[in-house]
Amino acid sequence: MQQKVEGYPLKEYTTKIRQIAKEALENREVTAIIGWRKKDFWWQSPVVFLEDPADVQQLVWDPFTIYSPVKFLLDWQESCAAKVGIFVKGCDSRGINRLLQDKRLERERVAVYGVPCGGKADAEKIRASFPSKEIKSVTLIGEELVLAVGEREERVKAEAYLLDKCLSCRHPNPVVYDKLVWEEVSPRQYADESRFARVQAVESLVTEERFAYWQRQFDRCIRCFACRNTCPACNCRVCIFDQAEPRWLGKANDPADTLNYHIIRAFHVAGRCFECGECERICPAGVPLQELNRKLIKGINDAYGDYEAGLDPTDVPPLGTYRGEDPAGFDES
Amino acid sequence: MPVTNEGFEPLIVAFCCNWCSYAGADLAGVSRMSYSSNVRIIRVPCSSRVNPSFIIRAFQRGADGVLVAGCHPGDCHYHSGNFFTRRRLTVLKQMMEYLGIEPERFQVRWISGSEGAKFAMVMNSVAEEIKRLGPNRKLRDVR
Amino acid sequence: MKRIAKANLAELLSAMAAEAKLYVPAESDGIVNFVSWQEGLAVELAALNVLVPPKKFFYPQTETVLQYEMGEDLQIEDFACKAGEKAILFAVRPCDVSSFAMMDKVYLEEPPDEAYRRRRENTTVIALGCTEPDEACFCQSFDIDAAKAPGADVLAVDTGEELALVAQTEKGEELISALNGLLSEATSGDENKVKDEQEKIADRYVTSVSLRGIKERLAGMFAADYWERLYKRCIGCGTCTFLCPTCHCFDLQEYAAGNCGERIRCWDACMFADFTQMAGGHNPRPSQKERVRQRFMHKLNYFPQQHGDYACVGCGRCVRKCPVNLDILEVIREAGGGTDGL
Repeated sequence: MQQKVEGYPLKEYTTKIRQIAKEALENREVTAIIGWRKKDFWWQSPVVFLEDPADVQQLVWDPFTIYSPVKFLLDWQESCAAKVGIFVKGCDSRGINRLLQDKRLERERVAVYGVPCGGKADAEKIRASFPSKEIKSVTLIGEELVLAVGEREERVKAEAYLLDKCLSCRHPNPVVYDKLVWEEVSPRQYADESRFARVQAVESLVTEERFAYWQRQFDRCIRCFACRNTCPACNCRVCIFDQAEPRWLGKANDPADTLNYHIIRAFHVAGRCFECGECERICPAGVPLQELNRKLIKGINDAYGDYEAGLDPTDVPPLGTYRGEDPAGFDES
Repeated sequence: MPVTNEGFEPLIVAFCCNWCSYAGADLAGVSRMSYSSNVRIIRVPCSSRVNPSFIIRAFQRGADGVLVAGCHPGDCHYHSGNFFTRRRLTVLKQMMEYLGIEPERFQVRWISGSEGAKFAMVMNSVAEEIKRLGPNRKLRDVR
Repeated sequence: MKRIAKANLAELLSAMAAEAKLYVPAESDGIVNFVSWQEGLAVELAALNVLVPPKKFFYPQTETVLQYEMGEDLQIEDFACKAGEKAILFAVRPCDVSSFAMMDKVYLEEPPDEAYRRRRENTTVIALGCTEPDEACFCQSFDIDAAKAPGADVLAVDTGEELALVAQTEKGEELISALNGLLSEATSGDENKVKDEQEKIADRYVTSVSLRGIKERLAGMFAADYWERLYKRCIGCGTCTFLCPTCHCFDLQEYAAGNCGERIRCWDACMFADFTQMAGGHNPRPSQKERVRQRFMHKLNYFPQQHGDYACVGCGRCVRKCPVNLDILEVIREAGGGTDGL
């Protein structure tokens, strides 16, 4: 993974983003911009919505501009007819294709600014090595993470502090864009090695061990629905889990019902999930959702051929099609 | 696993497609082939009508085993329904086994309208397997 | 004041578990939560706080309210009157302890909620004083002394190799007496050590907010532009609500099966789109803007107006866990007249 290294390149990237946003707003190409800004703490770079060109100074690009802004486009489409500009990383950009493919987004209503990404930092991993209260800033320069901790500067190998989802990223460069904000980065080496590693670890357990493992994970689920709410593949106008008549999901957090929720959600996104990893990352209870979603991807790949969602909005997702000679996971005699 | 399964009578829900499997069930009945009374049939127009939510809900509501029976691929009354069933339920079955649900609890079979004997045989063998496994506790609702 | 070596903690917990159902903080796959103690369980005392706040012991995420059966006539079995086993909560942080008094104002005011009341009565709370707040802790701004926990039955203070224990209520005295065999008397040296620890924490906060005038300012902000800008990134999940020690809204649901059924009470979140959804489809809080506004107005204006307390204890869970970094800190700062760059 190579980020351009010239002085402090991150500042350069931030400048580029602001420039593009300013031009787009001033020329009225878009009426609003969705990007990221900095907030109080070193690990907070939330999404921001800007309409005034003067506000572009808020935009940043740093190791914590992680949150995928794609799903906000759904609300935008509902509420106004105007065009909106959005900055998307490689993973986010597949979400754009997801919405296009699911007919939930009109391509002409969004200006996509693609930002190639070398990986984002995991605040928890950083906190395990450095005292959080003393950290003033964290920047990514080349292969190094540079931290200002108290009065000193610490330089560490970035790879050890990247988000797990970034380590198995196959598409760091946006797959759809109207403008590419800077040079593409080279794909991450060894991304494929870790992609299904955790799935294989669970597969190596026997039935009762598997159930005990998942029971332990889902016992922590607090049914907050953050996973569903952030997922661009979960884009139904009325979600099955919000229906009161018939009620497919009870409100009690009983183990069987919680399992019901996770099974059905994973199933509904099967063949459509593009592995952005946001569900697992934002889960407050640390439920390893990617282990579930990736199992389905692996199963579909093994049975029906390798397929990656969110690369081509005109292809057909594997569960929306068939071949006469498909294999089956059960006795067909 | 329960200490003993004596006296345990499993509840098996079988989703049977109207044109093939359900007809097969009829044939078994008309031919006086008896099969396990643990099986409760729910008739659907096509096996692809079966939403995974139905299967999970059946388990939640007390089913110890769930079977989906449809036409052989190529013979679907609606031409391609069971091709979708095949992919869909393959994925669901894989997921449930991955989560630690015993593979025998959820099964999919192709049973045609002329396979009365097969229908009876499948129902009996599924009932046997589930009886040996014991009651479904993992997916059962507590209320 | 009593003391016990941390090396002997397992014995103490074992003795407590003989008295009542004991709950302690424990780690599972990197997440710390209160769980039921068992022999051999490693207690997590170093973590700043548990994920799911201990409000769940008085106000469970799901509880049965009643069960009914229609036979000859209607039989109803009430569960509220059966609620509450004898329990001990060990190592509750002072912010969470403060939340109990606040929740009491909701659930114990006439007429008291029977299930909640029974659980509160049957539970002994052992607080663990804090020594090192992180950047998301701001309990101090709510006048909560994180080294002490006046509402707890017993206060435990970590003095390094030992835990000092101070009974603060009758219930606390009873528990300490029951455990006396395992505890030693604290010396005046110990008492000084405790005092030292407790005084250190005041200077260790990096985050503070002023609550002065916030109620009044918010009262005038109902129609303000601010909410229009703030709400946009809220994804309407229940993370903040369910992890908040002071959030207390619930839903009542029926699990009906023909002639019999069960009514349950469960946590609900005003962040959910269907929270105020009515039977006819009408929703008086139609968009996330109304819902986000409601959350903060409730915590910082409505609740204080009605009950005198802010519905926030500065525990920082929303700050740490909100997927979009939308938290009460920024709203307090905005209502206090600062801007958060929105």
